[in-house]
Amino acid sequence: MSARAEIPWTEKYRPKTIDDVVGNPEAKKAFVAWLNAWLAGRPPEKKAVLLYGPPGCGKTSLVHAAAKQLGLELVEANASDVRTSEALKRRVLRAATEASLSGARGKIILLDEVDGINPREDAGGLDTILEIIRVSRHPVVLTANDPWDPRLRELRSVCELIEFRRVGVRETVKVLSDICRKEGVECDPSVLKAIAENSEGDLRAAINDLQSIAAGRQAVGLEDLEILGYRAKQLNMFEVVRQVLTAKRPETARAVLSMPSLDYEMLIQWLNENIPYQYSPSAVAIADAYEALSKADIMLARIKKEQAWTLLPYALDLMTAGVAAAREKPPFKFVKYSFPFKLRALSSAKEIREERLRIARAIARACHVSSKKALTEVIPYLKLVYENDPQRGERILESVGVPAEAFAKAFDLTVAKRPPAVTRARRRA
Amino acid sequence: MSETLAIELWTEKYRPRKLDDMVDQKEIVERLKEFVKDKNIPHLLFVGPPGTGKTTAALCLAYELYGETWRDNTLELNASDERGIDVIRTRIKEYARTVPLGEVPFKLIILDEADNMTGDAQQALRRTMELFSRTARFILIANYASKIIEPIQSRCAIFRFQPIPKQDFIGRLKYIAEREGVSLTDDGLEAIWEESMGDMRKAINTLQAAAALGSKVDADTVYRAVGKVTPSEVREMIKLALAGDFLAARERLRTLLYTYGLSGVDIVKLVYREVTSARGGLELDDKRRLELIELLGEVNFRLVEGADDEIQLNTMLAKLALVGKGLANVSAR
Repeated sequence: MSARAEIPWTEKYRPKTIDDVVGNPEAKKAFVAWLNAWLAGRPPEKKAVLLYGPPGCGKTSLVHAAAKQLGLELVEANASDVRTSEALKRRVLRAATEASLSGARGKIILLDEVDGINPREDAGGLDTILEIIRVSRHPVVLTANDPWDPRLRELRSVCELIEFRRVGVRETVKVLSDICRKEGVECDPSVLKAIAENSEGDLRAAINDLQSIAAGRQAVGLEDLEILGYRAKQLNMFEVVRQVLTAKRPETARAVLSMPSLDYEMLIQWLNENIPYQYSPSAVAIADAYEALSKADIMLARIKKEQAWTLLPYALDLMTAGVAAAREKPPFKFVKYSFPFKLRALSSAKEIREERLRIARAIARACHVSSKKALTEVIPYLKLVYENDPQRGERILESVGVPAEAFAKAFDLTVAKRPPAVTRARRRA
Repeated sequence: MSETLAIELWTEKYRPRKLDDMVDQKEIVERLKEFVKDKNIPHLLFVGPPGTGKTTAALCLAYELYGETWRDNTLELNASDERGIDVIRTRIKEYARTVPLGEVPFKLIILDEADNMTGDAQQALRRTMELFSRTARFILIANYASKIIEPIQSRCAIFRFQPIPKQDFIGRLKYIAEREGVSLTDDGLEAIWEESMGDMRKAINTLQAAAALGSKVDADTVYRAVGKVTPSEVREMIKLALAGDFLAARERLRTLLYTYGLSGVDIVKLVYREVTSARGGLELDDKRRLELIELLGEVNFRLVEGADDEIQLNTMLAKLALVGKGLANVSAR
């Protein structure tokens, strides 16, 4: 009975029929027409459909509802979960070419969040999706938040595009009050309205918010919202970044400063990471935003070095309002923000860096310089000598007490093109 | 020589052992020789640009004071490597506790890159210097005297190392080339002189690297060596940024920062070299070149002030895009 054990309301109240799906009537109509062509045995010209729009507006729900209502087997893969083309092939490609095993009328292949595919990590992932579409004997449905990503160009060309828009406040309120009725919760209409407005058209977020304040209770009042606002906003750096970078006016960006326990050192790293994604292709906007960030960064440094806390308000204003005041910002677009690269890089490259530093220290001792200088002012030359004249390189390394092999390995040097070493080995053999 | 194994890097192989062997810095050498004669020195502060002989002078002084036992009587520390003043203090304390060997009544402590210490650390160093002044003498080495706190300056005899005059500089390179059997052409010499900007260590390293590329070292070999020593990402980064591809430029920057482990200031210096280099890898008109130099100066200044290398350098890249806007002919030579 406890709220904790409950399944998410977003699952519990997922629409079961196409009619139950809220909002986006045109999109629904277009999707049903496309699907009907398949079921009538004449696959449409575009074998795949790409449903796109902001999160929580019903894209995936519509596909689930349609499958359920029409008795189709749903083969589902979240494109950003099933990494690499290998996994996609294993799980989806076969399903797309075979008839349904479960005796259902047919299948829908659903690839969720295709814009989440990272072309570098998921080598060939996009190619595999294109192949699935080409060979599939069943309707293929893709979803994305941002379909205009240049990487998806080829995908767009083979898909019918159907746009979904944010769910309106009135529709959201209606869904929320239905849920309240079914859950037996008495809920002040102004609370539902506040949740709906706060969700900005993301029905899933709205239902989650409702569940977190209403589950297991009999009545909910306006005062409960405070907990919700606090909790939701404190944790979500994505939303903070979004508010700063998409603010139409500097004051809106500045408003994030009123959030409790905002970690401004984290925020500056997140902005450093994501400014170009939001503001490209405008070179002016990127440069303006970074200029503000750069100045904020200098002040943070002085605060740290000289305990100059009086500078903090300026730094905070610069990194929020200052960034948002960039000129020539491009029109709003939905961007999936990334975790700061720097924070990841520093931990992942640690081993290599440490090995290099060990070698640098040995060389530094022999050359009477700091290990940093050895790294930047001696080793690059040494690498060059080693690569072009391996014997001399080895002699030098030996004289400073660094094994040549360790050196080559730590600095990625090609030992292969070393004819003298080969002849030596042969002689020995 | 007391080294177990002669070091094959030419910067070390040809590092002068005796004060008389030093290239240039004549006045300084004369006064240091007086100290040797008296077998007594005050605390010393050597300041001057990189590669002008500061560390060499300190080592020569040690050698001449103590002869073959100089290693036992000299503690070499590098402020950039020793983590914090506490480590430095502990090492100095342990070292200075024992009585020196031989007839010189004190031991020598050489503290290189002393200007990398914070003000607080320098204050602590000052106390340490006082505490051990009976048994140890300090030679502090720095690029800028202004970064050494007044109380330390006033306790030291300050020696200002001047850039080595071109003639002496070139003479030394010729000498090394001759000894190593490298045929070094005049334009090769000129190229090394230009690329090393008065830094003898860089010049000798460049010569050795160029010699590995071919037995004849001319301007072309030198530029090839310098080009290879500079990570290719630097030039790519500049070109991509000027062309407005911020994300690709940032990727190169991150390789330089996190894979090569270069500092922000290192990278700005490399960018500056690319922008002003005689090799002309980038085709820029004079106006744009000046704009870039102004920008780089500002970035360097902010890096010294600022906390985060990547934020400052991303700012640089974003501004490079503005400089490059409308500039169609940025291309490799």
